[in-house]
Amino acid sequence: MAGHIKQMIDSIIEQRSKGNATLALTTKTKLVLKGLNPDRFNAGSPDDPAGIAKVQAIAAELGVRV
Amino acid sequence: MPVRTAYSTKDLADAVDDLKKQCGAQKPRVVIYFGSAKYDPRELSRRMRQCFPDACLTGCSSAGEIAAGNMMSGSVVAMFLDDDIVEDAACAVVENLSGEISVKDALATLERHFQATLASMDLEKYVGLVMVDGLSGAEERLMEKLGDATDVFFVGGSAGDDLKFQSTHVSADGQSYTNAAILVLLRVKRGFEIVKTQSFQTTGKTLLATKVDEAHRQVIEFNHRPALQAYAERLGVTVAEAPARFFHNPLGLMIAGEPFVRSPQRAEGSAIVFYCQIKEGMELDILEATDIVADTRRAIAAAKAAHSTQGLIDFQCILRTLQLREEKRCEQYGSIFKDIPMIGFSTYGEEYLGHINQTSTILLFR
Repeated sequence: MAGHIKQMIDSIIEQRSKGNATLALTTKTKLVLKGLNPDRFNAGSPDDPAGIAKVQAIAAELGVRV
Repeated sequence: MPVRTAYSTKDLADAVDDLKKQCGAQKPRVVIYFGSAKYDPRELSRRMRQCFPDACLTGCSSAGEIAAGNMMSGSVVAMFLDDDIVEDAACAVVENLSGEISVKDALATLERHFQATLASMDLEKYVGLVMVDGLSGAEERLMEKLGDATDVFFVGGSAGDDLKFQSTHVSADGQSYTNAAILVLLRVKRGFEIVKTQSFQTTGKTLLATKVDEAHRQVIEFNHRPALQAYAERLGVTVAEAPARFFHNPLGLMIAGEPFVRSPQRAEGSAIVFYCQIKEGMELDILEATDIVADTRRAIAAAKAAHSTQGLIDFQCILRTLQLREEKRCEQYGSIFKDIPMIGFSTYGEEYLGHINQTSTILLFR
């Protein structure tokens, strides 16, 4: 399977920004500063369990569910 | 005038009275001040409270000050904001930065004051200032917690102490603190803008942090090789020459084409110690310096062209100040702000969404 991490990241950005473009960028910035660069994942990125766990932990810090 | 500024180089006994005199009869809603390490921070806070008993009062120690376009040292600078700029304001303290940081109580204090949840606040009307003990090494953790808890923008800097690196202080409502941060939440009448400006561009060369010691802001390996060696190789210099390049070739986390600068402080064996954290797995661009004065002038001109600017606060990295001093360009830098009421200080780090280096984070009031 592939692409789950990309979906989770998109969901975090969508939930935090609620369609606000400025907030989408600041959320992306916060993710990069946490060590998770959304640009490094795409629909073909493997569903690495450690990567998924990392995204889940960051989602929890940001107060959203993925 | 809705924004007034003042500065004094007098001794503590007279400096606060001097500021008060320059403020005039106005009763400001908010007073923000930055003071040289030559002033006892507790006494300065106490005297400022005596002079401005009704204002939301906040400040910190500095490593150089700027007011009305004058870059100074050994001074105290102040900004007075009235109701026409800030309709309401409150500050809260985050203590014990060396422990497990929690911003919960401080944010709850701000929410109680405004009788609104942070989530409900209009992001174009509310803006935060953050001033942090500049020797705490805790800025990344603080900014991350803040960014997790709220989408309200907080901008600010890390307190300095005239390059003594002994003790830096933040203050709120007459009390002075170390190992702490001050959060100030402002509800502004006509809006605000935040400018983040740094004078670097990417070289197109990258480094991947593959082994780090986050707590000590140290990168042990880039690209699975000793950090200093990998940095030197990418720049095409010897390991011995590499530290001399740190100042003009820091690293940047590139986000939407903009660098969030991470500045190397020193080599430690084959590792590199930075002025802010780099996490394992981060890919960073090697940057090259551009012109501080020209870049800042351009950034401020763009902000002014978009909206009229009533005043601004400049949190400027001490490394930028040192460079301007060395190049004897302080006057040129100051001239950018000649027609705007402004204050600022030379910081030990800048805050905007995270902790950054070699940057100016600037809050402009419309």
